[in-house]
Amino acid sequence: MKIRLGTMFGDIIRSLFRRPATQLYPYERRPTPERLRGNLVWDPSKCTGCQLCIKDCPSDAIELIVLDKVAKKFVLRYHQDRCTYCAQCVVNCRFKCLNMDDQTWELASVNKEPFTVYYGKDEDVAFLLEKMARDNAGESGCPE
Amino acid sequence: MNNLTVHPLIGLLLFPGGLFLLASGLLYEWIDRKLVARFQNRVGPRFIQPLADLVKLLAKEEISPEGVNKPLFFILPVVALAAALTAALYVPMAGFVPAGSFRGDLIITLYLLSVLTLCLGLAGANTISRFAIIGATRTLTQLFSYEAPFLLALLGPAIAAASWQITDVDFYAQQHLWMAVTQPIGFLVALVGLMGKLELPPFDSPEAETEIVAGAMTEYSGRGYALFRLGKNIELVIGLTLVATFYLGGLANPVQFLIKTLGLLVVLAALQSLFARLRIDQTVGLWWRVGALLALAQLLVLFLLR
Amino acid sequence: MEAQRKFIVPIGPQHPALKEPGHFQFSVEGEIVTGATVRLGYVHRGIEKGAEARNWTQNLYLFERICGICSHVHATALALGAERLAGVEAPPRAQAIRTLMSELERIHSHMLWLGVAAHEGGFETLFMYSWRDREIVMDLLESLSGNRVNYSVNLIGGVKFDVTEKHHDEILKGIEILEERTKHYLKVVTTDRTFLARTRGVGLMTLQQAELFGAVGPTARASGVARDVRIDAPYEAYPQFPVRLVTDDGGDLLARFKVRTRELFESYRLIREILNHMPPGELTTRVPRRIPAGETISRVEAPRGELFYFIKSNGSEKPERIKVRTPSLCNWASVTQVAIGHKLADMPMILSGIDPCFSCNDRMVTINRGSSSQVWTWEELRRYGIEYYRQR
Ligand code: SF4
Ligand code: SF4
Repeated sequence: MKIRLGTMFGDIIRSLFRRPATQLYPYERRPTPERLRGNLVWDPSKCTGCQLCIKDCPSDAIELIVLDKVAKKFVLRYHQDRCTYCAQCVVNCRFKCLNMDDQTWELASVNKEPFTVYYGKDEDVAFLLEKMARDNAGESGCPE
Repeated sequence: MNNLTVHPLIGLLLFPGGLFLLASGLLYEWIDRKLVARFQNRVGPRFIQPLADLVKLLAKEEISPEGVNKPLFFILPVVALAAALTAALYVPMAGFVPAGSFRGDLIITLYLLSVLTLCLGLAGANTISRFAIIGATRTLTQLFSYEAPFLLALLGPAIAAASWQITDVDFYAQQHLWMAVTQPIGFLVALVGLMGKLELPPFDSPEAETEIVAGAMTEYSGRGYALFRLGKNIELVIGLTLVATFYLGGLANPVQFLIKTLGLLVVLAALQSLFARLRIDQTVGLWWRVGALLALAQLLVLFLLR
Repeated sequence: MEAQRKFIVPIGPQHPALKEPGHFQFSVEGEIVTGATVRLGYVHRGIEKGAEARNWTQNLYLFERICGICSHVHATALALGAERLAGVEAPPRAQAIRTLMSELERIHSHMLWLGVAAHEGGFETLFMYSWRDREIVMDLLESLSGNRVNYSVNLIGGVKFDVTEKHHDEILKGIEILEERTKHYLKVVTTDRTFLARTRGVGLMTLQQAELFGAVGPTARASGVARDVRIDAPYEAYPQFPVRLVTDDGGDLLARFKVRTRELFESYRLIREILNHMPPGELTTRVPRRIPAGETISRVEAPRGELFYFIKSNGSEKPERIKVRTPSLCNWASVTQVAIGHKLADMPMILSGIDPCFSCNDRMVTINRGSSSQVWTWEELRRYGIEYYRQR
């Protein structure tokens, strides 16, 4: 092949008259693909408490807290900061309780608190949080 | 067709020296970065970026590493910047008559421009950092390779104008056909020589970041680094002005200055983004085997035609 | 002059040329390199040990994180091994999807490498363009799996998702643009004068040297070694979609550029073929949580060369031992040898010529002396190998 100088000349001239490929991210968000593995969400109504999702999570990012096994009162504690977004739990759940949201994916924060998310029926979550607050009373802000 | 004049004191502090030069140095750096970015299909920085970089660097702590000669370490950036600023007094910045002008100021200007590179080389050799030492060696090697062709290339127009005074060459250029047309080889050598002088890609092996971090400037931080960078920016402006004056039909007024230097900058930016970095031995080979010969041939033709 | 101390240029563990920590010492005379040593181990993460505390499924994700670039092949190698131990095979469609992802990954890896290598050579424009175009394949990966890196495709016994009609068209469209661009880049790297000055004749490794140093992958193929696991021991869907071997006799950096870019075309062709002949059927089979006891090896062709897994199960939910040999580890020796006699300025390019990955090399070895270890001669090892493959 012939050896030439400045083989990318055409490219750079074309680029000069083209929009830059850079996306100005915070100002300009691309639509996310349908399958995007974003924040994990849990639907308590169908859960049987089988714990299969917990078993295979590679990073211990989910915990199922059993309030009442017979009445199927569960709360799912989800640690966004540990999650690797692998969707193994979604595959494992036979009752399709778990799902990865394709819209919520900007999950950065400057402190750790917002990363612990409680899912469940409102009254169950409220009950659990109250109980935890009661248990922790007296101790000085010990991290779980 | 005559250039405008300014009061000497203003010339020293505000224009064309001092403030104006600093501002235009930053502006040209931005234009250069922006153009390269656009050539690479990127967005590039906003116009405030070079100034922001400068302010940030000035605000940072300046660390003087172990094993350096302290006074030298601190004085070198200052000397480099001062030399670049002084050089501006003799060139028709923005199309005005140079603040100072005498016979033979072309040679002085060229030497003042080289002081920056020499300072860089010294600064690198002053530290015990191995990257800096290699960088310094390369900087000086490169200096010796492009300096002669660059000088010869600028000599062409000077000989045509029969004067070593920049203003004379300027007037001569304004009255004649562009010398880029009559002496195309010299123009090319001068332009590429300018790139070598400014250590722009593909001649950036003295500061090739993937090999020797930042070359001679590796140990510099904060103020010293800021001053060196500023010096380089100013050299860019002066270099462009010189080449435009000599080869693009002189600079009679600010509008011409802007159009011609910016035009040159576009070419420079395109050249920067077109090539892979040359190794230092390739750079030297290129300059001595091709650059110097071409420049000499140009001069020869010039002498024969006179 | 003999008393003169060697002038050693250290590169790393932190250096702009290295995107990962590694330490190199180049002794130089002027600009000429006279000796080179490598020291690795700055990113040891204890993955092999960690594997013993996790169950098989969790390990898929752990091993996927050995390398951020070729993550999928690691999980594939583990899944293949585990499936073999369990005596099952993933359904054909799942295998085709795995293969498809492997090839997409190869594209993204090679494009990334092209950019990095160009950057090391100071060709920023090529760097920016190749990375811009790499976004196409990253988007494809994202739209298929939901993640841009660490796509987590595999399950033990299958894959997580299907390739729909929409993806089919999307991929074909993306591949078309990429093919066009790759053609252009191949032209750039083979004809650009300044770039050729940095690659032609640099880092020359002959066929004999490549064999001697045990080089693998595109690095070896650029020296004329005809070795590719996808061809020598086809796995997954490769028997149905055979790969054509890409080699070059140059042995220098230019040859490595050529081999990798031409492998891209091969990947495009394979992807088209797989998409057009996608076998129908299930995506998963049932695999017991407890993998039967036994040991196996599993070999796959990662973008950087042969990836080797030794897997041992004791019949529980967790593996007993997993040993990984990554391709970069095999290629390091070539760097330290080839470097000698070159200019310092060539070092970053020679380094990046093998497409190094640092974190996947780092592991700890404890040698138990005086235990009941055996030493095998080459002949014995070879006999064992032949025997092993006959039994399979
Ligand atoms: S996505 Fe993966 S890491 Fe996250 S909770 Fe589910 S199984 Fe765990
Ligand atoms: S696998 Fe599904 S049903 Fe079982 S505990 Fe998890 S969410 Fe509930």
